[in-house]
Amino acid sequence: MTKNYETEAPGYTMTTVMEEAARCLLCHDAPCSQMCPAHTDPGKFIRSVRFRNLKGAAETVRENNAMGAICARVCPTEKYCELACSRTGIDKPIDIGGIQRFVTDFEQQSEMDILKKGEANGKSIAIVGSGPAGLQTATTMLERGYAVDIYEKSEKAGGYLTYGIPEYRLPADIVDYEIKRIINLGAKIHYNVTIGKDMMMDELKANNDAVIVAVGASEAKVLPMFEGNQYVESAVDFLARVKEANGNIKDLPTSAIVIGGGDVAMDVATTLKRLNVEHVTDVTYEQFDEFRASKKELEGTQRVGVTIVDGYVPDSIEGNAVTFKARNMDSKLTIKAEKVILAIGQQVNADNLGINIEHGVVPYAGYKTDDPKVFVTGDIAQGDQTVVWAVRKGKEVADLIDSELMGVQNND
Amino acid sequence: MIKKDLSVDFLGVHFENPFLLSSSPVDNCYEMCAKAFDEGWGGVVFKTIGPKHFVVDEVSPRFDELTKEGTPFVGFKNMEQIAEHSLEENLHDLKQLKENYPNKIVIASIMGTNEQDWEELAQLVTEAKADMIEMNLSCPQMTSHEMGSDVGTNPELVKKYCAAVKRGSDLPMMAKMTPNITDMIPAAKASLAGGAEGIATINTVKSISNIDLDKRVALPIVNGKSSISGFSGKAVKPIALRFIQQLRVAAGLEQLPISGIGGIETWQDAAEFILLGATTLQVTTSVMQYGYRIVEDMKNGLMHYMEDQGVDHLSELIGSANKNIVPAEDLDRDYKVYPKIDWDKCIGCGRCYVSCFDGAHQAITWDPKTRRPSVDTSKCVGCHLCNLVCPVGAITTGEKVMKPGRKGNAEDKQVESVRLTHF
Ligand SMILES: Cc1cc2nc3c(=O)[nH]c(=O)nc-3n(C[C@H](O)[C@H](O)[C@H](O)COP(=O)(O)OP(=O)(O)OC[C@H]3O[C@@H](n4cnc5c(N)ncnc54)[C@H](O)[C@@H]3O)c2cc1C
Ligand SMILES: Cc1cc2nc3c(=O)[nH]c(=O)nc-3n(C[C@H](O)[C@H](O)[C@H](O)COP(=O)(O)O)c2cc1C
Ligand code: SF4
Ligand code: SF4
Ligand code: SF4
Repeated sequence: MTKNYETEAPGYTMTTVMEEAARCLLCHDAPCSQMCPAHTDPGKFIRSVRFRNLKGAAETVRENNAMGAICARVCPTEKYCELACSRTGIDKPIDIGGIQRFVTDFEQQSEMDILKKGEANGKSIAIVGSGPAGLQTATTMLERGYAVDIYEKSEKAGGYLTYGIPEYRLPADIVDYEIKRIINLGAKIHYNVTIGKDMMMDELKANNDAVIVAVGASEAKVLPMFEGNQYVESAVDFLARVKEANGNIKDLPTSAIVIGGGDVAMDVATTLKRLNVEHVTDVTYEQFDEFRASKKELEGTQRVGVTIVDGYVPDSIEGNAVTFKARNMDSKLTIKAEKVILAIGQQVNADNLGINIEHGVVPYAGYKTDDPKVFVTGDIAQGDQTVVWAVRKGKEVADLIDSELMGVQNND
Repeated sequence: MIKKDLSVDFLGVHFENPFLLSSSPVDNCYEMCAKAFDEGWGGVVFKTIGPKHFVVDEVSPRFDELTKEGTPFVGFKNMEQIAEHSLEENLHDLKQLKENYPNKIVIASIMGTNEQDWEELAQLVTEAKADMIEMNLSCPQMTSHEMGSDVGTNPELVKKYCAAVKRGSDLPMMAKMTPNITDMIPAAKASLAGGAEGIATINTVKSISNIDLDKRVALPIVNGKSSISGFSGKAVKPIALRFIQQLRVAAGLEQLPISGIGGIETWQDAAEFILLGATTLQVTTSVMQYGYRIVEDMKNGLMHYMEDQGVDHLSELIGSANKNIVPAEDLDRDYKVYPKIDWDKCIGCGRCYVSCFDGAHQAITWDPKTRRPSVDTSKCVGCHLCNLVCPVGAITTGEKVMKPGRKGNAEDKQVESVRLTHF
């Protein structure tokens, strides 16, 4: 029943990955590498694959990106590395994500241990939140010799990697393996601890040289008209529930309305379909030509048979009948379904963390806060809100803190 | 990133790693060699320096490539001779390289037309502070028959010129051999007799790569005509490996120090040359195609290979495969091994069927309904052509049987190998 939900698309074999790598033009000053937010250096690792040095390829990915196996699967590559690919001048970009997945799968199968803990420098840092940003920050700090404690309010680490992105796109095994690697490197993760509630910032500050807040946008946004409606559930709650139960949830409807036009909405709609919910309609504010969801995701959603109605906003709800209004026409539309799932965005809960959040991010660029000991990173820092940007922000905040605490400049 | 000691000692000289640019346009001048050193090469064999009186006059265009399906540069044909820069410039560059890169190895490649030339050139490059000399006895497209492979195929001349070089210099010296010869051993022995301490091989293989079908001229077309000239790159690797193996097992040449050349592009190629007895490795064509940066993966991959093999020094690997390559008459011919077809992996293309029928022994039967092949052991000779053509690696080695009337246990026969494309 849940096979559809659990099964990731097959990856390359040695033969097919060489065919794809052979398409790569091995560009001078590789544009793909310049466009990777986390500097994972695809130009270099594809070259290593091409010259049959898979272990070297794995080193390049891993040393630049602690979430390498995850990024390989979930990066919106068409906005980043593949957007810049010179091969597009001939036909279509190199499947950089696919090659990266092959490389990191190889890394896992051959049990390579690439990351090395730095010599202890006697300093310690605390990280609030174990999403990709917190995990990358931890990795870089451990490599530099810091002691790292991570505080996580949930039962498991990973943030949206664990509780958001569906299994068929990102298997839990992969996420667990990446996290285990970081635990093996020396990160201590304290689960079920909400900072600001179970433990206070002052305590973290007193016991550490720096505190990094990486709490992400972990709560759903709701519109007033939907509050308290028994048919309505938020996208992130629904996805977390499905992922935790590995697809085996009991109260599946036979029809559902999904409201929202981003990747999260696509994930919800596709997940419903993969769980065999017969009628799934996604209603989006955006029209197709202004879509926010990545092309890959949108296509995946359409392929599984989700009906998409674009350019409509919710107007009212009565029981389980939602009425939408067209944005650019004088037209209304009422759809009734057993379940309504809201994917209109996530918001930050920074209660008692002493951090000012406006529109989901801190109101300044960079990672410093008013408190010299406290830093922010991940989705709550300015920049794109994607996993690869979380990695970039994790590396950058670690560099910044390292140079402040040790007085050295690291620019890798 | 993995760190392993790749250093080797060759003819008494210490190399930080075995990867050298071979003598060719890839190391024509100071700037090129400096960039190559910066990118990690252990040394260079500087573009062959000739005597002042020999005027180099090159053609244009001067290259061609052999392709197969979508793959460029399967092999590479060139019509170049020796250095176009002046003798003074070249000597100056050698000296400056050694001054600015004291830990890198600078080898001077030289070529004369007579004993006096060889002796003088040897003297000049020694004064320029080169670490070692390589004698180019092997360029197949010189405009003078007193130079290049016409000399290298004549053991008497080889010995005489080696002795001349030794008179001009006490630097360690290797003779670079041509593959355009049936048996390299007499020429190699002659060079050692003349004073060479080691052998570099191979230079390029005489060739015609392609013909323009309308103009009926070989490529490249030089004002309507073309010439036979040297072939290099991946396609010549098997030829190079064969010569190196033959040298290393020839009576009196065991432990011969060899600088291996010919089609090296990956760490796997490099490891193959090392296992057959090369201590240093020289590269041109793949650098011309991809640039100096290829050395990164060759070095890194070789380090991982050493780690996998549990060795700390390359010297532990050098020549360790020589003993497993024996004359054809010494091979075990008492058994055969049948292919095993994995129907789950098989995608039903039928290529094994076609190749076995048209190119082997009609031993694969084809079920047109299920599109699955089976092996008819009454006809199969165990050649494993099917294994090589299968696009998905569905065919491996299966049951081993003794031929009728032969003694021995078939199960003990070792035939398995993980094909490079399918690991
Ligand atoms: C459904 C969905 C699909 C997505 N798909 C993609 C995709 O395909 N590609 C992509 O690049 N990005 C995707 N994203 C976005 C991506 O997941 C985020 O950008 C990324 O997870 C942000 O990382 P983070 O570490 O900043 O925060 P999060 O991943 O949100 O992690 C924050 C962590 O902090 C913990 N926390 C919060 N408050 C506290 C507290 N007070 N005390 C202790 N712990 C706390 C949370 O429990 C959580 O574990 C998706 C997001 C969602 C929701
Ligand atoms: C364009 C070109 C020029 C070359 N010039 C020289 C030379 O001047 N002296 C020499 O000893 N070999 C010369 N060679 C031969 C190479 O050094 C090398 O022996 C041969 O190309 C095989 O190695 P490869 O397959 O790595 O290219 C030349 C080869 C090429 C392709
Ligand atoms: S830009 Fe594209 S073609 Fe060029 S190196 Fe990167 S992946 Fe290869
Ligand atoms: S490769 Fe450079 S030198 Fe050769 S023809 Fe082209 S531009 Fe001229
Ligand atoms: S070549 Fe391989 S894939 Fe094709 S039919 Fe034969 S066994 Fe099957």
